[in-house]
Amino acid sequence: MKDSLRWTILFIVLGTLFGFVLSRSGAADYNYIQAMFLFDSFQLYGIIGTAVVLTSAGIWLIKRRGRTALGRPVAIELKPLHRGSVAGGVLFGIGWSIAGMCPGPIVVNIGEGKLYAVAALAGALLGAGAFGVLYQRLQGLFALPRLNSPR
Amino acid sequence: MPLLLHDLPPLHWAIAGAGIAAITLLLLFIANTRLGISSGFEDICSLVLEQPYFRRGAVLSGRTWRLPFLVGLFLGGVLSAVLGGGWHPTWALGMFDQTVGWGPAGKLLWMFTGGLFIGFGTRLAGGCTSGHGVFGLANLELSSLVTTVSFMAGGIATTQLLYNVVLR
Repeated sequence: MKDSLRWTILFIVLGTLFGFVLSRSGAADYNYIQAMFLFDSFQLYGIIGTAVVLTSAGIWLIKRRGRTALGRPVAIELKPLHRGSVAGGVLFGIGWSIAGMCPGPIVVNIGEGKLYAVAALAGALLGAGAFGVLYQRLQGLFALPRLNSPR
Repeated sequence: MPLLLHDLPPLHWAIAGAGIAAITLLLLFIANTRLGISSGFEDICSLVLEQPYFRRGAVLSGRTWRLPFLVGLFLGGVLSAVLGGGWHPTWALGMFDQTVGWGPAGKLLWMFTGGLFIGFGTRLAGGCTSGHGVFGLANLELSSLVTTVSFMAGGIATTQLLYNVVLR
């Protein structure tokens, strides 16, 4: 089997497991997202909190080892801080509340058969596309990084 | 509270959180990649758009794993529905149905609007709940803390406004 195909299958399998967990946890459920923002349910706070704590410990261990399973040096691209961090975060939060799903769950909900999620995906693709097309015009306003720098 | 999906009971939050952490760490340990799902939206855009933003190295190299991962997310949803009682297309939207009560056309418009905010906002902030909220916070990145506080504030304000003010 070609190496690139093996990698593709691995990512599909990991994505499937991730999608299954999102689907069954409440993260892809309109009521649970609203209950989180209304402080009526601990579920999503518990999920994100647990994921952050365990991932943090794991990242620390992997960094200490210094190499991936295949012996490559661990390379984590950091995300830059700029004015768009706040503005973009607030806009995304508004969208998360309206749709009741963040990016992963949009795709999971389409898989589950929730028909309205297709419209959320269409909007998200248009929003992301518009951002990319307008990037050079937004750069000064939000002090965004130059395009060739890692972000 | 049961899930909208077949009224299933949800996984315990600790199990779901551990599952998300395990997959995030496998992605890093095996493939040297940082979890990030909203970047997948610009990867999809990059298949048809040619602007410099969509020709960055981070897009061209990242989409080789993110696009299959997105396919997996879709399959995970299908699998969850099939194993949980069968795959049936649905318009059910829980408390939105009980309060706002719009039909399919209204829901499509509502969701499309939400999607626009999500797509534009996550690109402007450089990530979403996964890349900032889980990976970035776990990696102690300041930009992720700022973004996570911002999107939680945006979400809390919007839901509180809708359900505790407008629909009260």
